Amino acid sequence: MGRLNFAGRVTRALQEQENAELFGFMPEAMSDGDLMARVASGDEEAFRQLIERHQDRVYGTVARMMGGAGPEAEEAAQDIFLRVWRSAGTYRPEGRFVTWLMTVVRNQIFTRTGQRKRRRDIDGEDVVDPESGESFMEKQADPQVRMASEVLSGKELEKAVEVACAELPENQRLVVHLRQYEGLEFEEIGKITGMSLTAVKALMFRAREALKKKLSGYLTASK
Amino acid sequence: MDKSKASNHRQEEGLGQELEQLLAKVAPPKAPAWFAAKTLARLREERGSSKAIGSWGVGWRWIWAAGTAALVAGWVLWDRPKSGSEISDAMVFAALDALVEQEEENRWWAGL
Repeated sequence: MGRLNFAGRVTRALQEQENAELFGFMPEAMSDGDLMARVASGDEEAFRQLIERHQDRVYGTVARMMGGAGPEAEEAAQDIFLRVWRSAGTYRPEGRFVTWLMTVVRNQIFTRTGQRKRRRDIDGEDVVDPESGESFMEKQADPQVRMASEVLSGKELEKAVEVACAELPENQRLVVHLRQYEGLEFEEIGKITGMSLTAVKALMFRAREALKKKLSGYLTASK
Repeated sequence: MDKSKASNHRQEEGLGQELEQLLAKVAPPKAPAWFAAKTLARLREERGSSKAIGSWGVGWRWIWAAGTAALVAGWVLWDRPKSGSEISDAMVFAALDALVEQEEENRWWAGL
């Protein structure tokens, strides 16, 4: 059963979909691979389950990479799931689904941030944080000064970490996020970013040094 | 012992315990409410519009193919040699006879 190829799984998914329509039954605890096979056969219910299972992971990564939560992050996350829908037919369950999904996330984010960078270069346009009303550039200007003048509290710590992460170069930020919040192994991160294991570890090392420097006040305070 | 070694190694390669603890306090944002429903609505909308574009695309292709076929057919017909322009043997011999007759007449007038 587990050794079925993707075409076999699609056929099985179609049969199961027929059964679901006949008996109004849809198993909840299906694997991501099985859900993708159903999605490939055009099953919207399976797609909804897949979205609900991974929406926080995708949205959280997009928001972290694009400088905060908001409509732009939501649109980007939706684009990612729409791409998943379109690519379901070509998906091959060779590795973990999450690795494949995060590769789609990475490509979408880098395309979007590239477009945003070009737009900013041409128009001098800045991105505004919808929560604080503060510009992204302003936010990045001098986090050290802000940190020194602010009293340590949960909210401020959150802001400081966000700013410190936002200041990291894109690749480092992504590696830190995938390792810290998604708990992925370096090998998987390498697959997602298209980098060698050594390159990923080197990026992680540089990110750690940069974060230590930027958050030194909080690190000593938390001791 | 092995477990603690592995965890130390993981932390050496990772962000380090202190930084990891600090970052863990700040979880990434969660997807907004109705995210799945909104995504499915967008999917349906895009599928609807792509179907409309698809049918026009097929129609447009047929129009283009028919136009090209008509042009090629017109060009082939125009360039074809006319069927009435074929010369029969009788016409050739008649023309030769006329030439010979003409030649004989010329010679007579010349007194040859």
